[in-house]
Amino acid sequence: MLRSYLPALVFLAIGGILALVFTYANTLLGPTPRKTVKATYEPYESGLPSEVKRTFRFGISFYMIAMLFLLFDVEVIFLFPVAVKLREFGTFAMYEAITFIGLLAVAFVYVWRRGALSWR
Amino acid sequence: MPLSILIWLPAAVGLVAALLPRALGPRVAALGTLGALGIAIGLIADYDPSSGLQHVTDETWIAELGIHYKLGLDGLNLFLVALTTLGFAAAAVAANFRTWERSRLFYFHLLLGETAVLGAFLAQDLALFVAFFDLMLIPFYFLAGQWGDGENRVAAVTKLVVYTFVGSLLMLAAAIATGVMSAGDGQEISFALSDLRERTLGEGTQQWLFLLFAVAFLVKMPAFPLHGWMPDGYRAMPLEVLAVFSGVLSKVGAYGFLRIVLPTFPDASAHFQELMLILAVVSILYGSAMAFTTTNARLVVGYSSVAQLGFITLGIFALNDQGAQGALLQMINHGLVVVPLFLIIGLLARRAGSEDLRDMGGIAFRAPVLATLFLIVALATLAMPGSSNFIGEFLILLGVFESKMAIAFVASIGIALAAVYGLRLFIRAMHNRVGASVESREIALRDAVVLVPLVAVILFFAVYPQLALSRGEDSVVSTIAPAVEVTR
Amino acid sequence: MIAATGPHIDVEALSPLLALTGGGLVVLLVGLLRPRVVREVLVPLLALASLAAALGLAIWQWDADEEIIAGALRVDTLALAFTAFVIVAAAITVLLSWRAVAPREAAHGEYYAMLLVSAAGMSVLVQAQNLVSLFIGFELLSVPLYVLCASEMRRSSSLEAGLKYLIIGSVGSATLLYGLALIYGATGRTDFAAIADALNSVGGPVSDPLFLTGLALSVVGLAFKVSVAPFHQWTPDAYEGAPTPVTAFMATATKVAALGVIIRFFDVALINAQPDWAPALAALATITIVVGNVGAIGQTSVKRLLAWSSVAQAGYMLAGIVVGTQHGIEAVAFYLAAYLVMNMAAFAVVVARARETGLGDAIEALEGIGQSKPLLAWPMTIAMLGLAGIPGTAGFIGKFFLIDGAVDGDYAWLGIVIVVGSAVSLVYYLKVVAAMWMRPAPRSVPVLAGGAVDDPPADAPAGPRAAGGEVTLVAVGCAAGPVVFGVLPGPLFDIARDAAAAMSHLF
Repeated sequence: MLRSYLPALVFLAIGGILALVFTYANTLLGPTPRKTVKATYEPYESGLPSEVKRTFRFGISFYMIAMLFLLFDVEVIFLFPVAVKLREFGTFAMYEAITFIGLLAVAFVYVWRRGALSWR
Repeated sequence: MPLSILIWLPAAVGLVAALLPRALGPRVAALGTLGALGIAIGLIADYDPSSGLQHVTDETWIAELGIHYKLGLDGLNLFLVALTTLGFAAAAVAANFRTWERSRLFYFHLLLGETAVLGAFLAQDLALFVAFFDLMLIPFYFLAGQWGDGENRVAAVTKLVVYTFVGSLLMLAAAIATGVMSAGDGQEISFALSDLRERTLGEGTQQWLFLLFAVAFLVKMPAFPLHGWMPDGYRAMPLEVLAVFSGVLSKVGAYGFLRIVLPTFPDASAHFQELMLILAVVSILYGSAMAFTTTNARLVVGYSSVAQLGFITLGIFALNDQGAQGALLQMINHGLVVVPLFLIIGLLARRAGSEDLRDMGGIAFRAPVLATLFLIVALATLAMPGSSNFIGEFLILLGVFESKMAIAFVASIGIALAAVYGLRLFIRAMHNRVGASVESREIALRDAVVLVPLVAVILFFAVYPQLALSRGEDSVVSTIAPAVEVTR
Repeated sequence: MIAATGPHIDVEALSPLLALTGGGLVVLLVGLLRPRVVREVLVPLLALASLAAALGLAIWQWDADEEIIAGALRVDTLALAFTAFVIVAAAITVLLSWRAVAPREAAHGEYYAMLLVSAAGMSVLVQAQNLVSLFIGFELLSVPLYVLCASEMRRSSSLEAGLKYLIIGSVGSATLLYGLALIYGATGRTDFAAIADALNSVGGPVSDPLFLTGLALSVVGLAFKVSVAPFHQWTPDAYEGAPTPVTAFMATATKVAALGVIIRFFDVALINAQPDWAPALAALATITIVVGNVGAIGQTSVKRLLAWSSVAQAGYMLAGIVVGTQHGIEAVAFYLAAYLVMNMAAFAVVVARARETGLGDAIEALEGIGQSKPLLAWPMTIAMLGLAGIPGTAGFIGKFFLIDGAVDGDYAWLGIVIVVGSAVSLVYYLKVVAAMWMRPAPRSVPVLAGGAVDDPPADAPAGPRAAGGEVTLVAVGCAAGPVVFGVLPGPLFDIARDAAAAMSHLF
């Protein structure tokens, strides 16, 4: 019975090995800078030096909006299969989707009226 | 029907009295207890010794669990019911002569207690008995905790309740087990005592059930190793309440042995006979020894009760007719003497300013009537020949001599000891050198109103104990018959 | 491959659940409106209305006995009875929260909406007929409760309670989920009936270590939620820190739901393995009774005391499930109903006294109220005596019933454990009673003459104020229940029998 897990194990192993290979391949094959300056280790080597320090804190509003965006975005994904296969699913799926959108609307109204979308 | 009225009358009156104006409530409550006493006297007059269980009420209470609301009166509980109503009437009337804080609540609890005790005595269904037995304690918890004496009364009374409840709850489990296990295939579960008597249990089952019941009843009485709650508990209660608690409630334990344990677990009763007899004898000796060493007057009576209940247990577990009859008579006698005894201690304490025997003395000086009443009660306590207590103890010892000779010899020492502590109590309080702050005063009319009738009942029973014996005989004999059968 | 039509949705059978969730949404949106009267009066009223509707619908459905949504949920008398209990508990909680601090701080709409959603989760849980719906109900119940625990945001102990409950609750959920996954792995099925069938086949998964591990893990997960020892440590802290109405809801409704799902899980899905899990569950019950009762002794906070007592009470009720008989389930249903009203009465008194004295939930807050506040003292007395199992209250009959069930199912020793536990429990229940009747009122407590509720600014500490009539009403009403059903238990027995009738496959 455990044998059925074997493919998963193999998949896991291959995935891990591939990731390692690509990481180290980069250091081996990639061009090595002849001289290093401080900017070499910046995320973007060109342009102005970054002002962002490790201790930089994002405003709470950013998280709020980012999280709400994620939630709604993920929820919209659920609508995609229904939209694609609506004919096969029939009216039932449409009612389901409408209910789902209705619930999203309630959530949206709530979020909006609570002021979570206004940047402060 | 009359039994239901008798049981619920006190609680109903208590509830009404709690809603009446402050001045009226206590009076109405006392009238209610007197009404219950009247009904009980009517039942004695009406009693037909030859026809078994009477005035039977049998209604289904909780069909799902097979619990019936079954009441019945026979020779076994007739006089105990009367004793209960008498004791509570005396307590309620005596309490009326004092002022209590929140008096209406006091009487409500007192009368609720009376209902529970009457229910326990009259119940003919094991589950109903257990319910009343457990319920009995709660009003007394409040009575002692709210109106009791002493700083530590709450702790003392909590100890009392927990002690008793351990017993009661073990009995609850045992009672349920009895009902469930005795029901054979296809039989409905029944807790009716008459059914349980006919459905026999295996001997091993009987034995553990017996022990659980015995713990409950021995704690309640209290008997020797399980009396730990008694000294503190007794000190914590107001005397009027203590009078009924010691005079009436302790009898429920002994009654439980006769009514439930002996008929339902006959094999186990015979098996544990010696154990119970030894416990009884130890109770007698221990109680007596403590009664003549302690100096607190109410503890003298308390420990004497341990000894007296030892005698009653002795009679019950003689497992023969004389013993059981003597035990029943002695239950009534003990109740009759303890109630006035505690009320008298209250009078003495008011005269001496303390309940310590060392502070008393010489109270008889200007109080011949009080001294006479006390003397009669004290002599009855020590089972003076001519008193009904003498007859009771005599029957008990006769019964034990027939079954276990050696134990009877040891137990008879207890009679001599009773004389010592009884007389010591009387002499230390009434005679001897006058105590420092003693003020000898004759008994007031209102105290006499309570005490004289009680003493009159004691005298009446001394002359005519046959009243209880003849009415009780048939029922006692038939109730303990299964256990007697086993020992033969 | 793809079903042309979705599963049949039986709206009628779902209606109580729809009323709860719909009510939650409406309350949430209405709570956004500005006027104060809307937030403080209309919102709780709407919550009550949706609870009333759900209760009415549950009663309307009473005789239903069907599987809905492709066997995910089962609507039968057991589910409906337990749903009704939950709804009653939620309605009482709404009343207790009416003038409480928590909804004001957490915003009224959210507070009541989460209450309703949590109740909906409980309803799902007791109807669950499938491992997946079981877990969904479990989470739907828990997540709002984590937030509700922390809803008195200005009190650090409330936040602490919320955090503790969140962390420990999540551990419980994770354990449960892992256990469910293993059971699924061992039996290959998610719906309870199919699992029961799989277990029934000779040489089935009963001895399979995968299955047994799954079983053990799910027991642990559920035990966290019912606070069965040794998984109860969070209970006193969470109960003490949470706002009192929320504590009341957790102590009653969560117990109902969790015991409901335990009944379904063990006595339906795993009934054929009963000889395997019964001794373990009996041992858990014993430990729970001992730990709960011993822990409650010496507590000086009434809420902590009730928390420990609720641990012990859960132990008593487990005994009814251990035996795996209809009789046992009847006893559990009966006891739950009695337990619910008795606890609610007690918590109502705690709420009232905390508002009146400013002493919080300490036992001192109750001292002397026998004289000054009989309308609070009597309910508390009845609740305490009832929980201890004194005759004349439904608690006695419930305990009688449970012991009867235990003895009947050959677990007589568990009956003895119950009675010994009850005897110990008197020590602390009587402590509360003694405080009310046998101690004088502490002098420092200001005595309020009653009158209008003064409304302190939201950031002020909860100073003395009038308790509010609805709290007294809850206390008196809930205390009347145990007395009435203690003398005339008939109606409650009917409910219990109906509930157990849904488990007709048991003896």
